[in-house]
Amino acid sequence: MTLQVAPPAVGTVRDVRAGAQGQSRLLVVAEQECRDLWTSGRGLILLFLFSVLLSGVTYLTSTNQALNFLEQRESVNLVLQFAVAVGVLATLVVSADGISGERERGTLETLLVTPVPRRSIIGGKLIAALSLWFATFLVSIPYVWVLARGVGILGRALALGFCVGTLVAIGLGSIGLLISAACNSNKTSIAASIFLLLILFAPTQLPSGLPQGWFFEVLLRANPVASGLAYISSILVEGHDWTQDLALLITPLLTAIIAGGALILAGPRLVRLTRGVNAG
Amino acid sequence: MRAALLFALLVGVLTWLPVPVLAAAPLSVKVVAEPAHIETVLGGRFMITTEITNTGTAPSGEILAHLNVASIEGSVYVDPEDWSPSRSQQLSLRPGESRKLTWEIQAVNAGHFAAYVVVVPFGDKVAGKEPLMISPLVDVEVATKPTLTAGGALPVVVLVPLLLGLAAAGVFFTARRRGSDR
Repeated sequence: MTLQVAPPAVGTVRDVRAGAQGQSRLLVVAEQECRDLWTSGRGLILLFLFSVLLSGVTYLTSTNQALNFLEQRESVNLVLQFAVAVGVLATLVVSADGISGERERGTLETLLVTPVPRRSIIGGKLIAALSLWFATFLVSIPYVWVLARGVGILGRALALGFCVGTLVAIGLGSIGLLISAACNSNKTSIAASIFLLLILFAPTQLPSGLPQGWFFEVLLRANPVASGLAYISSILVEGHDWTQDLALLITPLLTAIIAGGALILAGPRLVRLTRGVNAG
Repeated sequence: MRAALLFALLVGVLTWLPVPVLAAAPLSVKVVAEPAHIETVLGGRFMITTEITNTGTAPSGEILAHLNVASIEGSVYVDPEDWSPSRSQQLSLRPGESRKLTWEIQAVNAGHFAAYVVVVPFGDKVAGKEPLMISPLVDVEVATKPTLTAGGALPVVVLVPLLLGLAAAGVFFTARRRGSDR
């Protein structure tokens, strides 16, 4: 059984006041979602685990004899790519819990009867998920600083990590919310999101010594995560100009636009009560 | 008798004469490498350029330029594949034509090395006795770099998770206490 709850009226497009109201409602939802994420300790626990992982990688790159031949720029690149990849994973996991989690906990009904447009609910949830990406980025700054000091690439590395990571996080966060809205069970939603991320990371794990033909190139360019990370490498390690490999950012940009657009357009129809695990 | 002598003379002359049509023209190329000397640090990336010129009068046919790296001091083990993942380039040159090839290399061992490019004929017509054309060696000196130390990274590696762990535990237990108070 599907219980359709009519969305509250938000007024016409021409009504500027209603628009401003909608914007403030979005911020109210975002604030509430962020409070839920951070004051419950969930966000900080994820951040703590992230920092433990990043500490391990940073310590390894700075002390391991086998990795010592790595040029310092490559060490920065390795840690930055790791930070972006895990930060995006955390964003995806949080966004994958967004709608299906509310359904499963039985709190979506309460949320839907509040005078907040469903688009604002989705937008607020996306902002909350992105707050985790921004937090992971802040945590990764000291690690990048430790490795990049003395090489003169600290500013460039941080700017790159922030821009590329934010782009990928918006795209994957939106996909996570779409998956979450489409799934009845939270387990299914999170499993599907992690599986999607594994598929996206798989090409980045291929040995660099393998012959890489046109198929690999297509795979790399069609994948928002792999192409975003390849863009970071091309600038940090190969010393390319910002504009030289800009084509690598097309897929992350398109993913953010298409998934974000789909979320805005289809969001109001997707956020609804369905027969979930706790719905009886 | 005279006819036999004439025949023997003819055979002798014919066998003595070179037969350029049947045998492949010997490979005649000149290989120049630049720069002659490179100083870098462990992990440093550098590029060498070789110019291969066909100095002969016949087309070179398919030839293969192959980069190699050897240690010329001490007993450093060198695996050239680690230094450069793409070490072979195939080409063919017309008489007088020259081609510049670039080789991207990363120094993965510290020490004193020679990098050089050898040009070999390529394809199924190679008989096995053709001479090799080798570039002059590029002298590569790789210094050990001041690597990152555990001491430099340790404060960040320990402090960041410690502070975040404490903050997470504090927030988590406060939230739990608040929940049980209700």
